[in-house]
Amino acid sequence: MKRYVYINDDDSTKDLYCDNRISNRKYTIVNFLPKNLWEQFSRFMNQYFLLIACLQLWSLITPVNPASTWGPLIFIFAVSATKEAWDDYNRYLSDKKANEKEVWVLRHGIKKHIQAQDIHVGNLVWLCENDEVPCDLVLIGTSDPQGLCYVETAALDGETDLKTRGVIECPSPDKDIRRFDANLRLFPPFIDNDICSLTIKNTLLQSCYLRNTEWACGVAVYTGNETKLGMSRGVPEPKLTAVDAMIDKLTGAIFVFQLVVVIVLGIAGDVWKETEAIKRWYVKYPPEGQWYELLIIPLRFELLCSIMIPISIKVSLDLVKSLYAKFIDWDIEMYDPESGTSSHAANTAISEDLGQVEYILTDKTGTLTENRMIFRRCCISGISYGNESGDAIKDVDLQNAVSTSSPDVIRFLSIMAICNTVVPTKSKSGTISYKAQSQDEDALVNAAANLHMALVSKSGNMIEINYNGSSVQYELLDTLEFTSDRKRMSVVVRDCQNGKVILMSKGADEAILPYSDPGQHTKIFSEAVEQYAQLGLRTLCLAWRELMEDEYREWSLMFKEANSTLVDREWRLAEVCQRLEHNLEILGVTAIEDRLQDGVPETIEMLRKAGVYFWMLTGDKQNTAIQIALSCNLISPEPKGQLLLIDGKTEDEVFRSLERVLLTMRITTSEPKDVAFVVDGWALEIALKHHRKAFTELAILSRTAICCRVTPSQKAQLVELLKSCDYKTLAIGDGGNDVRMIQQADIGVGISGREGLQAARAADYSIGKFRFLKRLILVHGHYSYNRTAFLSQYSFYKSLLICFIQILFSFISGVSGASLFNSVSLMAYNVFYTSIPVMVSVLDKDLSEKTVMQHPQILFYCHAGRLLNPSTFAGWFGRSLFHAIVVFVISMHAYSYEKSEMEEVAMVALSGCIWLQAFVVALETNSFTILQHLAIWGNLAAFYIINWILSALPASGMYTIMFRLCRQPAYWLTMLLIVAAGIGPVLALKYFRYTYTPSKINILQQAERLGGPILSLGNIEPQSRSFEKEVSSLSITLPKSRNSVYEPLLLDSPNSTGRSLGTVTPFDFLQSSSRLSSIYSRDYKTN
Amino acid sequence: MAGPSSAAAGSADRNSNRPKYSQFSQQELSACQPIVTPKLVITVFTVIGIIFIPLGIASLSASNDVVEISDRYETECIPAENRTTKDAKIQFIQNSQSDKTCTRSLTVPKHMKPPIYVYYQLDNYYQNHRRYVKSISDQQLRSPGSENDTSSCKPENEENGASIVPCGLIAWSLFNDTYSFTRNNNVSLTVNKTDISWKSDREHKFGKDVYPKNFQNGSLIGGATLKSSIPLSGQEDLMVWMRTAAMPTFRKLYGRIEVDLQANDVIEVSLNNTYNVYSFNGKKSIVLSTANWIGGKNDFLGVAYITVGAICFFLAACFTYIYLKKPSRLQDPSYLTWNTNPGPL
Repeated sequence: MKRYVYINDDDSTKDLYCDNRISNRKYTIVNFLPKNLWEQFSRFMNQYFLLIACLQLWSLITPVNPASTWGPLIFIFAVSATKEAWDDYNRYLSDKKANEKEVWVLRHGIKKHIQAQDIHVGNLVWLCENDEVPCDLVLIGTSDPQGLCYVETAALDGETDLKTRGVIECPSPDKDIRRFDANLRLFPPFIDNDICSLTIKNTLLQSCYLRNTEWACGVAVYTGNETKLGMSRGVPEPKLTAVDAMIDKLTGAIFVFQLVVVIVLGIAGDVWKETEAIKRWYVKYPPEGQWYELLIIPLRFELLCSIMIPISIKVSLDLVKSLYAKFIDWDIEMYDPESGTSSHAANTAISEDLGQVEYILTDKTGTLTENRMIFRRCCISGISYGNESGDAIKDVDLQNAVSTSSPDVIRFLSIMAICNTVVPTKSKSGTISYKAQSQDEDALVNAAANLHMALVSKSGNMIEINYNGSSVQYELLDTLEFTSDRKRMSVVVRDCQNGKVILMSKGADEAILPYSDPGQHTKIFSEAVEQYAQLGLRTLCLAWRELMEDEYREWSLMFKEANSTLVDREWRLAEVCQRLEHNLEILGVTAIEDRLQDGVPETIEMLRKAGVYFWMLTGDKQNTAIQIALSCNLISPEPKGQLLLIDGKTEDEVFRSLERVLLTMRITTSEPKDVAFVVDGWALEIALKHHRKAFTELAILSRTAICCRVTPSQKAQLVELLKSCDYKTLAIGDGGNDVRMIQQADIGVGISGREGLQAARAADYSIGKFRFLKRLILVHGHYSYNRTAFLSQYSFYKSLLICFIQILFSFISGVSGASLFNSVSLMAYNVFYTSIPVMVSVLDKDLSEKTVMQHPQILFYCHAGRLLNPSTFAGWFGRSLFHAIVVFVISMHAYSYEKSEMEEVAMVALSGCIWLQAFVVALETNSFTILQHLAIWGNLAAFYIINWILSALPASGMYTIMFRLCRQPAYWLTMLLIVAAGIGPVLALKYFRYTYTPSKINILQQAERLGGPILSLGNIEPQSRSFEKEVSSLSITLPKSRNSVYEPLLLDSPNSTGRSLGTVTPFDFLQSSSRLSSIYSRDYKTN
Repeated sequence: MAGPSSAAAGSADRNSNRPKYSQFSQQELSACQPIVTPKLVITVFTVIGIIFIPLGIASLSASNDVVEISDRYETECIPAENRTTKDAKIQFIQNSQSDKTCTRSLTVPKHMKPPIYVYYQLDNYYQNHRRYVKSISDQQLRSPGSENDTSSCKPENEENGASIVPCGLIAWSLFNDTYSFTRNNNVSLTVNKTDISWKSDREHKFGKDVYPKNFQNGSLIGGATLKSSIPLSGQEDLMVWMRTAAMPTFRKLYGRIEVDLQANDVIEVSLNNTYNVYSFNGKKSIVLSTANWIGGKNDFLGVAYITVGAICFFLAACFTYIYLKKPSRLQDPSYLTWNTNPGPL
């Protein structure tokens, strides 16, 4: 299906395509109820409860009033639906805001102001600087004489600059933001009636921002929900946390247990009925029953036991999870005053997984570093400028060279100023500011300007340079663009003074040095590159070549031709460029520093201590990556650390290298040594494609990895690989190239940094700085996990408790499926009496934030579901059984004989449960704030108030019951007895475990609260500082330490590798045990 | 996703992004953080022991102060020739011609102060059976307008095409043994049978203008019949019976004796043994009992309190002993394993 867009012709296409009304809404007012109900009922739990509720309508089998299930069910549905409706309303509001935004369109030659939603396909849309693009446009013209315009791609990662100028024939809307294969046919009076091909580069896509361009004008081709963005705006698959998965598993187990109970009791009930009840004339069983008689008792038990699965758990969890997310949003300590951004949890459902993270995959530039480039050093013709004491700009030698117009230096600086895509703009006051897409180019141009080689203007093809006050003009002939494959860019310019044609190139060393003039010695440059890389600087090589006029003309034709090919254009262009970029004269090397963000080494060290594995994935080159890794504590220098390199150009080489690394890794895992592997994009691609199994094993073994030169999709593949091994992964990044990785990971964290907000928007959590990650994981992750673990298990506990009492009661009521409790109590029990106290467990803190931060190892303690797993659950299960027996036996015996009245006994048992609940919550609470006291004891008071009210209503079945009970001393004695008998053993057991087999958390609690001696130990602050010093001294004073880092690669035999480890100090205890535990947990997961 | 970008946000509103401080939002509410120290736990258990044992003794002595006479009669009140088999017993009880009166004599062990409650006790009688306990219509009992509201009463909802009032198995199976008491040879003892039901039942649950109708008219007669001239709110035996018991063993109030009974008084009970418990091996007893603050005679609470108190004392002692013998490992910082090996990191 093609669509024909008639430009500026309102009538012909107006009704054919939708208008530009954006709608992100899931529901409309009409379909809200059915659609929402349908969605809710697609969940198994809800189907189950609906089935139960329907069965309860059959009065023969229902043990209680159907309201006891329908009530909570409707309540829970109402809560979920309200939440959905609220979210949808907010989406509606933001849609409305976008739809009613005023935009300029051209109608019949007149610029008109209309609302964004009224744009139709074919309209000419007029944009001003900083406007958001309202729909997908084909660019027609801009304020830029070259037809360039700059856009900031906010939610898309597209290219950033474009050129352009009937009818546009374009494909039906799709979501591929990299493709737009259309044709433009201009109508007469244009003579040129040729078909002009349009690509994605000619489009302005919705939600981009127009930048650095005064105005732009485009034809609307896709509008409303049919834009590229609109089409790709799928509902992201909801992420399921480990805790959720465990809860589902436990629910399944309870369900099976319930079925067993139902079958056993059902059969027992039928047997009792046939042998005993039949003799009891007062029950009046008919001698001949219906065919379904045998089913009735089992079904009754099914209904009776249906409360075993807590109906309220999903709602409670949803509510507390939203609160965890709010706590993250509100956290002042994760507010970045520099950029004015606070942390934000976009995904409210996965906070407890933060405490379960096993692998962190981090981007480098902008994430670990500030992405603020500073020109530090350079090497021109073999002379290095700049040292530790000062930058190259301040180097007196270089300044002298500039002032004496040393030709090499001049050429070097002019390449810095010319060979780029920077746009200079002159403000009214005369100062020049540069607008650059790449921070590196910005740094270079600014540095050149500081060295008196200032780029003044680019108008048309003319480039004006101001050198030492005199103006120099160049004519820009061609731009050989940068691509990630070529890793270099070049420009061809004509020097207007002497008419010479010059090729200027800049690029990565491996993309420039091999193409140097064979006569030139490049060793000096490659050494410089290496030395700078050791310092963690980003290097670029600059080169140039004078072209013969003929050579250029010949090449220029080929270039034009290649430029207009429709098939494989990029490849053809690269090939043509290659023909020009050879025999280059290397002029020098620039080195740009990308500073580490504050607190990065501490954060990484702390998280590594917590047992988290760190992988760094970067597009940068290997040496830079390794140096950054060293300086941010990701890897340790020799002899503590060891780097293993996987490289090779062919499949075979990569495989051998991989095997070797794997072998070393297997041996060293048993040793306390910090081993990391390094792999580049090329080897990674081969390894992932052909040796996936070996690489997976390596990935599991390796505590640290550095992957350099990787593409966005490889980043995502690595995440996928780790996820497929059932590890919890967290991906953190800041740029558009991290978006896929972030979306792929279990938890995606985006840094709302300088590269825009793409990553932050795609992420589950967005933070201002990398260092907030430790607080996010250690504090919020830890608390959320603890709280959810308690809340979910407690929910099961309280449901099981009441259910066990019902089951026990069935043994003394002739296994007939009678309910001890009345309907109102059962309903209120789940929804009110037991939900509120546990909700305040969201304020519970097992340890103070300070302690958690001082002992990051605590996080490891929460790994692999230590607080929520089948054995902890078995504890809660046992507790509920024990408490049920306590409540049942005591209330049945205390209220026997003449006091044995159903309503009274039921109320005694129910109050017993409520009292126990209050004390269980109190016992499991680690810290009581006023809110917790209020909720726990207030709830107990509320229970009595509610029941007094119910007892005052003559129509209720409980009329006067509670008043009667509260007047009896025996009632209060019974309550006291239930509490003491129920809580005493639990307390004793807790005390024993706490004192004689304490967990790490217990020890720290003790230390923290009693001020024990432990607090002074394990404080990592001073350690980390000294460590940092060590690294920096290594990187500055020992630039040649590379050999020692790489040494093990030379040693193939495992023996020699082992020997080299002789002097290594023992590594953290946790490493080996954490490995064991991961293996254990993996076994468990596979089971 | 398509919302306006905050990239355009200038520095002017930067600080507005700063989260507001409050103790709640920063999770900094002051909290007390109790931990289970030996001192605390030993104190708690000792205190429980100190409280529970006196309470247990008080309950037990209160229970002992209650004088209770209980006499099981279901077998003795059947003529010896009918006692042999279950079938014979059933035959006897179902035969409307047979003489079912029976006399039992009870000796008062201790002085009993009025009010002396007269109970009948049934054993192995499942008033809590699902089929039984549900077979009642609250609406019908309350208002005459709901006379035909009997669907929940099945299988005892109508007879001869007309609704039964009161309907349901509970009412139908109303206990119908009767007792009369004489003291020390023919000094008659009056049993007060008013006010034996709950006041709330008389006033709200059972209607003042609902009269028994069509009751026990079927071929199968369950238990007692009701005088159709007395409204349900006046049928106290029915109201007592219809407060169903939660256990298969229960006592129901029959009446009160409002005179003192001296020790060694002999009380003659002449009873009409008509209620069939023989078909399911049930038991019937007559119980005379006084009551005090704890209720009737029930040693459970007292015994349980003393037991729990004693166990708590025992635990407290054990904990103290263990604590002194083997101090808590918590005091030993080296037990925190990750401090044992101060490794490179």
